[in-house]
This record gives sequence, structure tokens and C-alpha cells, in this order.
Amino acid sequence: MRSAISVILSSPVPDNKMSHPDYEQTAHDHAALLLLLRPIGTQIKQKTVTRLCERIIKTGSRFSVADSTGGTRDILARFVREHPVENNDWGDFQTHRRLLGLITFGKYDNQVELNELCRVHETLKVKYSATLYDSRAILFGPVESNNVHEPPTLFSTPSNFKTRAVFYTDETCPDLETHVMECLNSLFWILESKRLERSREKIDRVSLLLAPFEKKDFIGLDLESRNNKKRCVGRMTKHLGDLCLQAGLPADALSNYNSAASVLQAVNDWLWLGAAFEGLCAASALVLYPNMCRSLPLQRNSSLQEGSPGKQRRGSQAVATLPSPPAIEVIKSNMPHILLPEEISKKYREAIVHYSKYQYAGIIETEASFKATRISIEQNCTLQAASYLSSVILINLSLSEQEKIDRFTTLSDLYTSFGFIRKASFCLRFAAARHVSQNNPNPDWQQCYNLMLQATSGFKLSLDPVEMSPENHRGWPVIQIQVITELVTAANRMGNPALSTRHMTFLLQTMYNYLTPNERKETALQLQNVSQQCEGAPVPLVLDSGTVIPPANLTNIPKTKSFILKNMQPHLQPQKIERAKEDHGPFLFTPINFGSLERKNISKSKVAGRPKEVGDLEILGFSTHTLGVKSNCRLRYMEGMVHSQYTVEVVPALPRIEVATSLPQTASFSSGDNIVTSASISLYGGESAECTVTITNSGQVPIETIELSVQSTLDTVLESKIFKWSEENLMAQLPLQAGASASLTLYLYAATDFIAPTSRNDISSSTYLSQPSSLMSHSGHSSLPSRLNSPSHTKRQSELTSSFRSGLSSHSGRSSLASSRLSKLAVPLHTSNVVEGQLNIKYSGGAGLTAGYCRISSVFVTIEMLPSVQITNWDVLPAETPSQFYLVLDLTNMTNHEMELHYTQTKCIYMEGKEPCRIPVPVDRCPLNKLSMLNGAGDIGELQKVCSEHIASLVDLRWQLLGTESIGKATLSGITLTQDMLDLVRMSPLQWEIKINDAVVKAQDELTCNLGECVSVGIGICNALEHPLSDLMLSINFYQDHHNGVNNYQLETRLSIAGANKVMLPALQEYGRVYHECRVVFFTTGQYKIDIQCSSKESTPNTPVVCSELINAGHTWRYIPPIEITCAILFFKLNRSFTFGHKLVENRYRFQHQLRQQICFLCAYFDKHLTKIISD
Amino acid sequence: MAVCVAVIGKDNSPKYIRCVDESSALQFHCKVHTSIDIIEEKLNVGNKAATDIRDLYLNLLYATEEYKIYGYATNTKIKFIIVLHSSNVSLRDNDVKMIFKKLHAAYSNAVCNSFYIPGDQLNSRQVQSI
Repeated sequence: MRSAISVILSSPVPDNKMSHPDYEQTAHDHAALLLLLRPIGTQIKQKTVTRLCERIIKTGSRFSVADSTGGTRDILARFVREHPVENNDWGDFQTHRRLLGLITFGKYDNQVELNELCRVHETLKVKYSATLYDSRAILFGPVESNNVHEPPTLFSTPSNFKTRAVFYTDETCPDLETHVMECLNSLFWILESKRLERSREKIDRVSLLLAPFEKKDFIGLDLESRNNKKRCVGRMTKHLGDLCLQAGLPADALSNYNSAASVLQAVNDWLWLGAAFEGLCAASALVLYPNMCRSLPLQRNSSLQEGSPGKQRRGSQAVATLPSPPAIEVIKSNMPHILLPEEISKKYREAIVHYSKYQYAGIIETEASFKATRISIEQNCTLQAASYLSSVILINLSLSEQEKIDRFTTLSDLYTSFGFIRKASFCLRFAAARHVSQNNPNPDWQQCYNLMLQATSGFKLSLDPVEMSPENHRGWPVIQIQVITELVTAANRMGNPALSTRHMTFLLQTMYNYLTPNERKETALQLQNVSQQCEGAPVPLVLDSGTVIPPANLTNIPKTKSFILKNMQPHLQPQKIERAKEDHGPFLFTPINFGSLERKNISKSKVAGRPKEVGDLEILGFSTHTLGVKSNCRLRYMEGMVHSQYTVEVVPALPRIEVATSLPQTASFSSGDNIVTSASISLYGGESAECTVTITNSGQVPIETIELSVQSTLDTVLESKIFKWSEENLMAQLPLQAGASASLTLYLYAATDFIAPTSRNDISSSTYLSQPSSLMSHSGHSSLPSRLNSPSHTKRQSELTSSFRSGLSSHSGRSSLASSRLSKLAVPLHTSNVVEGQLNIKYSGGAGLTAGYCRISSVFVTIEMLPSVQITNWDVLPAETPSQFYLVLDLTNMTNHEMELHYTQTKCIYMEGKEPCRIPVPVDRCPLNKLSMLNGAGDIGELQKVCSEHIASLVDLRWQLLGTESIGKATLSGITLTQDMLDLVRMSPLQWEIKINDAVVKAQDELTCNLGECVSVGIGICNALEHPLSDLMLSINFYQDHHNGVNNYQLETRLSIAGANKVMLPALQEYGRVYHECRVVFFTTGQYKIDIQCSSKESTPNTPVVCSELINAGHTWRYIPPIEITCAILFFKLNRSFTFGHKLVENRYRFQHQLRQQICFLCAYFDKHLTKIISD
Repeated sequence: MAVCVAVIGKDNSPKYIRCVDESSALQFHCKVHTSIDIIEEKLNVGNKAATDIRDLYLNLLYATEEYKIYGYATNTKIKFIIVLHSSNVSLRDNDVKMIFKKLHAAYSNAVCNSFYIPGDQLNSRQVQSI
């Protein structure tokens, strides 16, 4: 419909059309005088012109003039830098489009240049001659002129130069404002005169005013028709309204417009009716919103291009003094035709509708829409404003591309000004596209890119990837992707590969989740392509316009799943010297371990660094180089990161060591801290070996201290036996300079337990295997067989003794091995053949030492301890001399080699592999002074310990494996002794002196006596202790050993004792001696034994006792071995004893006497018995 | 029938957008996106005047030569937008209103899903069925 009307009302091809729309117009401009500011010539600097223009605009934009009636007129002026002469053609239609004034700026150095300037000025005057009222030329010359309006001496203006010129030398031109005001005043007065002239015209004489395109329409029309007359009057009234408005008479203008509108409406002159309405609106707006331009938002200014006249005008008006808007009621009473705010937009809409009926009034319509929009904005009617703007797009104009761009940027500005940022961005994008459209003869990608960049904010698109993180991502991804893609294209086409790489990276980084897999692939490929031209780097890019494009880092390609700060290898970690070894101190280097996702496969990357300075090191992220883009990936901006940064304390430099050993490395060792190397060796029990540990300082810092320690699961005593070293030797080699080495000899000793843990088991395994373990453990001690056990013990022990004897010989090595394996389970430490230890080398030096840090490196030492000799059983036997005893050992060669075993200085034995054998080792008895050193609780355990240590120290078992070079030493430590054994092992505290028939008896002397002979037994006891003994009881008991385990003490019928066989000794002083004697007569022949023992009485619990007494309290000392006396009758003796036979002859009488005595004795005996029998 | 339906979240990010013609999706995205401006404005006006008795239906947002864009905003500022062909005269204002009502109901049902996290993209069969 719209187009239909246009076709009807307007001619198809108009001669003149206004082809230069002025989108910056406001309604206020209807009231303004239009002036052109134009620099001429080539000399004058752009900067000067700009500054001058600013000054002019500041003074001239709004001024007051006193008119002829005495009132003041508020006059507005609009200064433009460009004015297409075609626009003047619309001056009849709307007078504010006429250019009324011209001010030129020029600079000359000589006459020729001055002439040229004058010529150009005159040419401009001619150009706008149709409308121009007045002009000024501001000229800067080299010399000062006497009169500002006269050229300086030696210079002259050409004769055809009729303009009033102002001559200056310097560019400050202090009285510029005065001259401008004078010019403006003259313009006003000319205008005022024109207005008066028009207003005085006769109503019926007026000529028809025409819009440019209308000229053909009226050809052939009856100009004299009534209708046309009315049209002429209406148009002229409207024209008068325009002039009134410009001349500062809004009230007159309003009434003129009003009457014009009613006239024009009647004749259906839509175009001019529209203009009348617009005039009404403009005049009303001028009155209602005198400050309107000021209310435009500030960002509008910033988005305007440099040098735009609109901007300058508005900026200056903001500075001018502004009257506050008067109340509407007051105005309404003064100006009855004024439109109310809501009427303004209504009328404007009507005006636009009327304009729209004419195809060639498109520009007027567009401009009207913009003006209406601005008023709506002023009225805060944004929706209305938006509707004006959206209708602008529908106006079909054939415009140049540049004008289209301007249209869109203006639209965008306006949309922005009332907050429609999305629309604004949309328009900007359109404008950008116009810059490079196919119709554009000179595409400008730079401009396109700039506009595009401005548009991004409307799409909630921030070019900083940090703000575009998935959590706070807003906006429309599809559109955003499109915009970024366009940005990339624009950047590419304008020849800035760095930018396109940046945007491409940004696209991939921020929009990754919104891209389809295919798009991702494509984008990645494109990125790879563009980055080949310019590698992406994580630095902000600064554009020519000053815009900074923040860096885009590809943090999600590869996607980091986890970021772990990895400590240094333990042996490189510095330790606080004060701290315990196990503590993890701070670390020095920063090896980082991060995983990356490359499409589907996960890979681990390790980044290691070496700090250069001491202090706190903050780890914020890492850098990648992906698809040709270098990215700084900050943990803070990455998804799924636990910590946004890590802080590493960097301590002063510490030395580093490398450790090597002379022994082969362990194939595998149990993992532990700090271990740098390992050493392994196999040793037979008791064998020793050396291991050289070489410590090389591989760092830069000298090593000043080294501390050595061994760490193992063993107890300290055993540990110190196995691992030995000389600290002094190592210390002597310090300090260790960089690159130097020190060596340390580690002595290793296979400290196995040579005592078979449960020998009893071996012996009677068949019997006891099924027994509970409690019995087994108990049996270990009590089972030690001894013939020296108390005679009161029963038959079983003799059985054991026999089994001991026989069992050893009969036991095969195999079965004992099997049982020892069994025992391994019970006591793993003794039999486990691998000992693991860790030699910790704690070292430090340099600044690190001063700061209190050290490092620990460890050598893992594995010693495989093979069994060599095992003592399966042992016993003590009295030796020939009381000062010694025999330690009888049952040894088994546990190796497969033949073994030579030296057990005394002179004696040695050869043993086949796995062969058991028995050896007697003479050992000095434990002297009493060793025992006397015992203090504290004198329990049996202490005593045993001392004794077993005594044995271990004296018995020296040295073995050598034939065939191998291994030699070793077995110790008896850990041997256990029973009470009876102990008595034998230690020196008796009592020294015995036994006399039989007054002859001193030595142990194991063979003694005989005759039947019925009275044998005197003398016993001397000497206290060898250093303290007195008290309450001793010496007892002499005779018994017969049946050699089947039965000892018969019931000997009343076989012997008779004269004298006490029990004597109480109240006290025995130290080194004191007592002697007791008694006599005995044997009635029957046989072998008798005398058990001589001395027991101390149980100490009463209440009386406090000296501790040494405690040892002896309740104890029994026995004379060992027991004395054996063989009693025989004479003849028997004769047969038996050759010696005795000789004596017989010699002592015949004596024997006779003895025989007689015996007979008497026998008689008496029989008598006694007979009487006893009878009495029974 | 509508050529494009969109559900827009409180923060003006798209929750669901579906076009009949997928090839010109971008065009609709732009249209719907820019129409948020108008919705925002309308909602603002409503806030000033009477917050409580605001009609959810926002009427025609704007019309281009090809399309008419209708808006609807819930009290929780969830916006629904329907784009119709300008030539489509069979649908009257009331019909459009009905579509919005249905859309609103479908959206409510979708949000009632306990597994839906408010603010996420909508992925509901029920919404898609309209």
C-alpha cells in the first residue's frame, strides 16, 4: 500500500533527490542556524582547525539576541563540517536544511597562498550561494596586520574577495569568539528580516514552495485552482513557521504550523502536512525539552567516530548554560498550540506515515524517525523509540554502502542509548557486514573488524576467556560462535593473523562445549592453519584503536584432569636437621605431574624445574603449545582443579651425593624412603665381609657434615653387631668438595644364632610334635639332660640322658633339618636368613646447612645369612680339674661343604656337609669375682646371663669351609643353663677339701675300702666368697647309684655312720675354713657314692638380707663329682687288686687284725639282727 | 504453525530453541536474541506500574516483513518466544496465547523433574513435543 501511494504521488525519476541523509539530526536542529566550518588550503593543521571549531561551537551553539521589540531571542546554531549542496535543495521544505553561514580557516605564508585561499573561499560561497547569508574567512599569516579585518602590509586580498576576513598571526586568536558572535548576529538579523518579509507577504500572492522531487509533479497542473491556492498558503505558512522557529519564536512557529497543518490537511498535501506536524513536534520539543541533547547517554559519545560534527555539537551544548524545563501548564497557557509530550510522538508518527507515502521522501522519513526516537528517549518511552527505529529499517532507500553503514551505526547508537544492546549489536554487525559487502566498491575489513568488535558486548561475548568460563557463561552460543567466526574472518582478511589466531583460540577455548565434534575438528584445523602464519602467544594484543584483546589460553585442549605437585625424589628432599628422619620437609625442586586429555587418550606429562632463588615459589599453572598456540594455563581458570595455586618453599641450595657400593645391587628391595642404591651379600653365619661405600658429591655445594646411621627392624644390639663402620675415617675426608668422593667401609657380620632354638624338639620330636606349644617352650630349658640333676629326680631323667646319648647318634641330619625348619616358624628372627638394613647418610653443607636443612640418602643393604654351624645340644661335664669343666656341644654343619672347626687352640674337627658331631670344649669355670659383680636382684636369670656370657667369651669356635675361602666364628651367646649346670659352670663359692682316711682326695680318684673298715671322711670347707655365710648346713649322704636311674638312699642296712652326717654351721667368715669329720663303715660290698653338700638355710622373709646373701640363701652347694668308694671283701680285693696283694704279704698282721675286727663286727651285727628278728 | 520456539532463562541465556527450518537456525537465533531487548523493556515497564497483575503474555514483540515475534514471560522471568510467519493469519492472538500456555505447562513439567538443575539447558521430551 505504501509503495502504491508513492507511485501515485511521486514521479518515477526525480531530478533532485536528497542523497545525503543526516542521521545526527535532532528535533532541535529545526530551530538552528546552519553554518559550515571548513578548513581551506593545505597549510593549516588539522589540530588547529579542530581546536578552533571547538571554540566556535562552544560560543556559538546557543546565544541570545535582543530583538527589535526589546525581547530576547534564544537562538541555536548548528555547525557542520560537511554539507552536501543537494541538501540545500530541501531548504524550502524545511528551512533548517539551508546553509546560512560559512566560516573558513586558512593559513598562508605568501601572497600566492593568500590568493588561493581567497579563491577557494569565494568558490565555496558560490557553491552555496542560493542559501548563504554571510561568510567569514579566518586567515593565519606570517605577519601581524594592523587591523584584524585588513590583510597585513605587503599582503593584499584579490579584488574579487568580498568576504569579511579576520587576519591572525598566532593560532590562539583571542578575539575569535567576538568575531564569530558578530557573524552569528548578522546571520540572525538577515534571517529575521527574511522572516518579516515573508510574514508581510500577501496571503494570495504566495508562490508555491516545492520539495525537490515535486517539481515535475506540478507540471501541467492548474496552479490557479482553489485547491492549489490553499496548498500554496498552507506550504507558505509552514515555511513561515520554520523561519519563526529558527528566529527564536517558538510560539509563533507553533501557531503557524498549526494553521498550516489544518490548511494542508484539507488539500491532502501529505508531504507538507507531515512537515507541518514535524514542525509542531520540533517546536514543542524545543520548548518542553530545552536540554534534550544533554540527556543523551555518555556511551553514545564514545561510540561515535572521531571528528563527527554531531559529537562536537552535543559536547559543547552540554557545557552551555541550560535553563530548566518550565512547567507544562505554564507553557500551555502561553503557547496554546504546543503539543503535550504524548501528543508529540503521536504527531511524529503521523508525520512519518505521511512521509512514507512518498518514495523520494525516504530520507526525510528516516531522519524524522531518528528525531522522533531521540524525543522518545528523552521521554523515556523506550518501546516507542524502538518502534521508530524498527520502522527505519523498513524504509526503502537506495543509499550508498557508506550511508547504509552510517544508518546502521546510528541505529546501533540509538539502541544502545536506551539499553537495547542486543539490537544495537545486531545493527553493528550489519554495519560491519556492509563494509565488506559485494556492493561495496572499496571493502574495508579493518572497519568491519572494528565494528564487529564493538558488537561483541551485545552478544554477552567478552573477549577475555576468563569471563567466558563455563560457570559464568551467558548468552547465546550459536550466535556467539557466528560472531567469533566472523571476527576471525575479518581479522584474517585485514591481514592480522595474530588476531585471527587469537580469536580462533578463543573460539576453541570458550565455545568448545557448544561445538559439534565436527566443528571442533574443523576449528582445530583452521586454528592450525592460521597459527602457521602467526603463532599464538599468551600476550594481550593491542589494536590500533587502542582496544586490547586479552590473551586466550587453550586450557581445555589438552584438558587437564588433575594437577599434582610432586615432591622430589625422597633422597633429594631437604630435611630439617632438627626433625626426625621420617618427616617430610619442604621441597626444593618442582617436578610437576599433569595429565592431559588429547581427544581420547590420557597422557601424563611431567614438568620439572629448578628454582634459581631462595624463597617462596608460587605455581599458578603451566604453559602448553597446542595447535600452534602457546597458552599459559592458569589453575585458577581451569575446571576441576582442587587448588588454584601451589606455593613451594625454596630453601637454600644443598649438596647432592651419589652413592655407590662395592657390592652388587639387590635385584629388588623393599621400597623405602631416600634409597638411592642397594647392596646385597650372602654370608654364612659368623662370617664377616666389608663393603666399601663411595660417596661422590655430584652437586655444586661442598658437603660439610655427614651423619651415618643404620635403620633396620632388628634390635640395636644385633644391629650394631651386623653393621659396623668407622665414623672417624669418613669425618677425616670432610669437607667434600663438589665432584670429590669419599669412601666408607661398612663391616658386615652375619650374626646368626648358633644355638638351635629348641633342641629338645630335635631329640624327641616324635613324642612332642603333637604337643601344644606351651610344652615345647617349656621343654627347651628343663629338658637339658644332666646326670648332675638332683639325685632325687626320678627315672625319667635317666631315660632322657640315655636318649640324649643315643638320640644324637641315631638322629639323621635330615630329620633334624626338618624339625629346625619347623622351628623357623616359631622363631622367625633367628632363622630368617635375610637381614635388611638401611644405611642412612645424612649430609648437608653450604647455605642449606646454615638454614638448617639436610638431605638423606640411603643405601639398602641386604645380607643373606646362610646357616653355618648349629649347636643343637649342649651339656656341661666336670673336667679333671675343679677349675675347668667340659662344655659338650652337639654341632651340625649346616652347609653343604666340608667344614673344619677349630674349637680350642689345638683341637680341630672335620665335618662333612650336613654332618652332626659332638665336641667337648674345656672351659674355665666362671670365677666368683665375675659373679660377685652381680648386684641388684640376684635372681637366677642374672646368674645365668653372666655364666652364659662367660662361656660365650671363652669358647671360640672357628670354622672354615673347605673349598671356599669362607671363614667364620660361631658364638655361643644365647646358651641357656639349668641350675645344675650353673653350679658346674661357676666356681663353687666353697672350696672343698675332702679327706678319706686322712688322705686328700681328688676328684675322680678311685677309692676302695674293705668291708667293715672304718673309713674316716673329712670335709673341709673354705669360704671363697668375700662375705661371710651364715646358717650353713653341711650334710654327707651316702647313696648307691644303680646305673639305671635309681639312686638308693636307703642305706641303713648297708653302712653305718659314726659321727654326725649333718652339721650346722652358724657362720662361715669370709675366707674362713671349717673342718668336719665323720666315719663310716660299710656292711656290704658295693660301690657307694658320697653326696657332700652344703646348703644355706632359707633366709627368713622378714629379716632384711644383704643382696649378696640373697644369692646364696636357700642354695645348696654340692661337691662334684661325688666321691665314689668301692667296698670289697678282702679276698675279692685280692683278686681284684694286684697292688693290694703285695701289701697283704707285707702287712699280714695288720690284715689279721682287721679280719678279726671284721668278724667281731659281723658277730655284733648278726647278734643285733637276730635280736631284732626275734623281737619282731 | 510457529516456525521457531524458544525458551529463555532468567539470565537471558537460551534454554531451548527449536526451529522448523534448521538451516536458517542462526537467523532465528538472532531474531529471538534481539527480541529479548523488547521483552526486557516490557518487563521493566511492568515492574514500574504494577508488578503483581502483569499479564504473562507480552503480545507481539515486533513484526518484520517476514515474521511476527510473540513473547511471554513467566513470573520467574523465564521467557518464551514464538516466531510466526507474517503470512500466517490463521493464528489469532488467542491462539498464540494458547500456545504459550501449553508451552508454559510443558516447561513447568520439565522443571519439575527432580534431576533438572535450574539454569541448565532444557532437554525434555515433553517440551520438545510441542
